[in-house]
Amino acid sequence: MAEDPTTADSTKGTESQKSISVRFLERLKKAVWNMSLLFIWVGMVVLFGLLEPDVFLSTVTLRSVLADQAITAMMAMSLIMPIASNKFDLSVAGMMGLSAILVATFIVKVGMPWPLAILLTLLCGLIVGGINVFVVVHLKINSFIATLATLSILGAMIQWISDGDQIAEGIPSSFKEFGRRQFFNIPLPVFYMLAIALVLAYVLDFRQFGRYLYATGSNEDAARLAGVNTRKVSSIALMVSATIATIVGIVFTMRIGAASIDVGMPYLLPSFAATFLGATQFKEGNVNVPGTIVAVYVLATGVKGVQLMGAPYWIEDLFFGLALLIAVGLAVRSGRQRSM
Amino acid sequence: MSSPSEQVLTITNLSKTFGGTEALRNVDFAVRAGEIHALVGQNGSGKSTLIKILAGYHLPDRGGTVAVEGNDLELGNAGESASRGLRFVHQDLGLVPALGALDNLALGRGYKKRRGGTINWPAEAQAGRDALAKLGYDFDIKIPVDRLSASERTGIAIARALESGGDAKILFLDEPTASLPAAEAERLFDVIRAVVNRGVGVVYVSHRFQEVMVLSDRVSVLRDGLLVATERTADLEEAQLVELTVGRVIAPSIHDATGENYASGNPLLEAKNLTGEVVTGLDLAIYPGEIVGIAGVTGSGREEVAGMLFGAIPRSGTVTLAGSELPDSRPGESLRRGMAFVPAERLRKAAFTDMTLRENLLISNLAPVFGPLGVNKTVERRESLKWLDKLEVVPRATETRLINLSGGNQQKVVLGRVLRLEPQVLVLDEPTQGVDVGAKDAIHQIVRDAAKQGTAVLVASTESEELVALCDRIIVLAGGSALGEYPVSALSPDQLTELTMRKPGGGDDDAVRRVLGS
Repeated sequence: MAEDPTTADSTKGTESQKSISVRFLERLKKAVWNMSLLFIWVGMVVLFGLLEPDVFLSTVTLRSVLADQAITAMMAMSLIMPIASNKFDLSVAGMMGLSAILVATFIVKVGMPWPLAILLTLLCGLIVGGINVFVVVHLKINSFIATLATLSILGAMIQWISDGDQIAEGIPSSFKEFGRRQFFNIPLPVFYMLAIALVLAYVLDFRQFGRYLYATGSNEDAARLAGVNTRKVSSIALMVSATIATIVGIVFTMRIGAASIDVGMPYLLPSFAATFLGATQFKEGNVNVPGTIVAVYVLATGVKGVQLMGAPYWIEDLFFGLALLIAVGLAVRSGRQRSM
Repeated sequence: MSSPSEQVLTITNLSKTFGGTEALRNVDFAVRAGEIHALVGQNGSGKSTLIKILAGYHLPDRGGTVAVEGNDLELGNAGESASRGLRFVHQDLGLVPALGALDNLALGRGYKKRRGGTINWPAEAQAGRDALAKLGYDFDIKIPVDRLSASERTGIAIARALESGGDAKILFLDEPTASLPAAEAERLFDVIRAVVNRGVGVVYVSHRFQEVMVLSDRVSVLRDGLLVATERTADLEEAQLVELTVGRVIAPSIHDATGENYASGNPLLEAKNLTGEVVTGLDLAIYPGEIVGIAGVTGSGREEVAGMLFGAIPRSGTVTLAGSELPDSRPGESLRRGMAFVPAERLRKAAFTDMTLRENLLISNLAPVFGPLGVNKTVERRESLKWLDKLEVVPRATETRLINLSGGNQQKVVLGRVLRLEPQVLVLDEPTQGVDVGAKDAIHQIVRDAAKQGTAVLVASTESEELVALCDRIIVLAGGSALGEYPVSALSPDQLTELTMRKPGGGDDDAVRRVLGS
């Protein structure tokens, strides 16, 4: 029963007495893992650059990846607030599509001046966001199911409003300028994306609301009992996602100069894949802005690279599907996935 | 069946190292057939590691052996452990709440089938009833288990462990009474004795020393990975057992009741006609600096009171704080008005396990850590470090995630979160559930300090010892209403336990007086 007190103390102190080199290695390992996507990105650029030096490294390729993906990146960011609060918003794809067709319809078919068309479209976006809030927060229907339903309803509205036709003529060039103009050789949508990213990252990291959002996502009951108005938090998250998706729809029509019925859906899976993959980076396990943006560009670079090497057209769908599985799989493995 | 004194499980020189930390060191441990062998130790002492090795989830370090009835057990193989007769009932029981005992038992061993694969329901029902009857239970095996009492659920889990394939030799019970009030724990003890009478050895893991003293034949103590003692329980005093577990003498937790006449001032918290699902028409008042306990068996309403006062669960009736009425079901509003709440189920209702200690501590009030540009992380770290020090949380690391802490330290963080708000009224539901002796003492001291500052405290607890050690006066609930209100000076823990088991209405004054010996 007698025991040497020093041995007892030494086990207790193991954690704090871990040698400095071991701790440094652990930190380094964690840091490398937290930024692993950046390394993968650099690796891909080098690999594809060596394999296809003429095409892949051309400024045209780089610029088109950068600009095309600004849309995807904004869509992915629209998902950040709902996912941080442990809610899904699948309807963003429908929201983007509706907004693209609405703004074109208001301008071309109704004949409104475009600033008014933009305002009205944004208003519609807020109304749809409000419907999501009503269904998810007030009726307490599971957000995945609820927004899957609103996604389908939005799809129907898109077809009803457009009558199945695309609007290609009659969009004024002053409106299109906002999607096509370049500053320092970089198209405007990239700047819109950066603006949204900055505001979102600031709110998530430095405002009380960001903390409330993550707390609600971590444990909604506990958050409520800790004084967080979780219904308000979830509502704002869903309104923000609808608003961002509406803005993206408008920007899309500015950039393309036309609107058709199939605008939003192609962005749904890539956005989810990027948001979840991004959650494995920087703030391990929590969705975050820099992780999401890096993930968007890593995925796009990968797709572009294999396409340039002659991969078939369906490689993109395969790529994003696998990326989503891997991202969620990694989160499950680290035991920190709670959304599914 | 084995003869009573035969050694069924023999563990020799077992060690386990997790990346440089020795969780177990050269442990020798033996269990005899038909004995109740208690295994005690603080959180992190190695109890769960030992059990996980025996269950086959961890592989121990080289050199250790485990023998069942004299033959070596292949380690690290869960199937082998089960087929050799080692059975485990974990704290969360692992029952499917919506299914009855019948299905829960069958899920453990597989359904009895007819030829062709359809389930033979009559045979299944008979087997289920038999299994429970052997433990002395007789209830409808089709009632969903979430509508049974806690001790009945534990009984089902025990029956399932015993019945699933082959002869059970040793049954490991991991804190089976952690969430049971005294009366139901008694019922469970009868079940455990029935198990032992069948010749099965029982290893009983518990934080509750009184139970260990009453129930067990022998007791082994783990501390910092070492097995520091195995003794016959009859040869030990409870105080010695505590000392062995903690490694130092713990002064008996004496409440410094001042005997002040609180009722002369105005109550800080007052509830009138408080009514919920079970509780009906309860009145209570708490004065500044006073600690009031709520005692009662599960189903008495004890588990509702704290949540109702705070607004965590709906109520009717009025609750007034310092003279102004609090709205129902508005936790945020209660907090702002100066009432703080620590819920009973830490993991479900209070812990943000994947967030940092800093985020967990500060979430309820971020205003003091606000700079001109929003939340200032440097100030946040300083502020949270202050609280980690004040509550002696281990590890003292603001950026660690809560999940990495032991139960006691998690609870301290949750307490820190509410104390930081400097509440006028502190409402605590099971403040030390699943917390080890050392941390429990520290938490009690924290609560007492808060009361000394003038905070009015309400503590609802299943543990009579805790209430008697902590409170100035205790309200005993039965059947949803107050059976009586007792100054703590007039009560011993045993008397309190006995009071909680009185039937509502039938709790005539004579009986109460007899219990109190006056």
